[in-house]
Amino acid sequence: MVPAIESVGIGRLATCLREAGLLLLLALSVTVAAWLIRPEKMSLRAETAFYELELDAPLIAVADALVLYDTGSHLFLDTRTAGPGSFVTIPGALPVRVTTFDDDLYENRDFLYPEDPVVLFGDGNLPAVSDVAALLLERGFEEIMIMGGDLEAWRRTGGPLADHQAGEHE
Amino acid sequence: MSNVDATPALPVANNGPIGWIVLACRLIVGATFLYASLDKLAHPVAFAQSVHNYHLVPLALLHPFALLLPAVEATIGVALLVGFWRRGAALLGAVLSVMFLAALGSAIVRGLDISCGCFQTTGGHTVSFDLLLTDTLLVIACLWLLLAPTVGWGLADLRHRR
Repeated sequence: MVPAIESVGIGRLATCLREAGLLLLLALSVTVAAWLIRPEKMSLRAETAFYELELDAPLIAVADALVLYDTGSHLFLDTRTAGPGSFVTIPGALPVRVTTFDDDLYENRDFLYPEDPVVLFGDGNLPAVSDVAALLLERGFEEIMIMGGDLEAWRRTGGPLADHQAGEHE
Repeated sequence: MSNVDATPALPVANNGPIGWIVLACRLIVGATFLYASLDKLAHPVAFAQSVHNYHLVPLALLHPFALLLPAVEATIGVALLVGFWRRGAALLGAVLSVMFLAALGSAIVRGLDISCGCFQTTGGHTVSFDLLLTDTLLVIACLWLLLAPTVGWGLADLRHRR
């Protein structure tokens, strides 16, 4: 029968520390290599504006939003206030804007329900998108996320875009 | 063949229950660390947000920390699963677990209602005493793996046999 715990000598402690140091070095090397080969590199410097915001819904990275879009689990809501005519947006996205919030909810009443999980996106102005999130929360929506980037970031990540006629449902 | 005769048998069979418990503990702790790293490795931005919610890491270090920590967890997990440098991995695991324990404790003391970011970067468990208990168990398991006898069935033991 062996003892459950062995005594720790100086030599063993040194070996242990050396192993831990080498493992840490290995992890650091893997991190640097993974960061270098990643197509969408996360900047090493965190932007104050991104993290100091007080948003009404959790942020989701553009790449993660694209995964949700591909699985079809979430509805995408376009919060940008655009003029009449056509504009580029995410295919299938429903317009829900702060300036015409009630009208947009009424227009989309057959497509959008409070129990639906939704991802909001805008033109990169996150506080403006958050205002729409706050209104949706008031209307009983519970699963709301804000995409942390604009459509240019969406396009760079490989997300599809399509021309959309104002007022048209895809 | 004298070389074969001189090779000791894998010691796990001779170590009785302690050997099996060390093996099980190593695999469970290794799998836990590896599993914990996967979602963080896949979603570094979301993990950085989770870390930021604790308000413990300065912004200048936030992204490097969010990139490095999951890699360290994965390294610990793989090392423990394959049984290579077990004690070094257990030491790192214990240090990380104590760090998590301190972060969770401080979040509870400050009354932060945030997702712990332990296994999932979005959603997941909210910081709570249950998580403190789980993390304490992880610290104990790591410390035991650090001090437990060598029992075999690891890559390091196969290397020593050659």
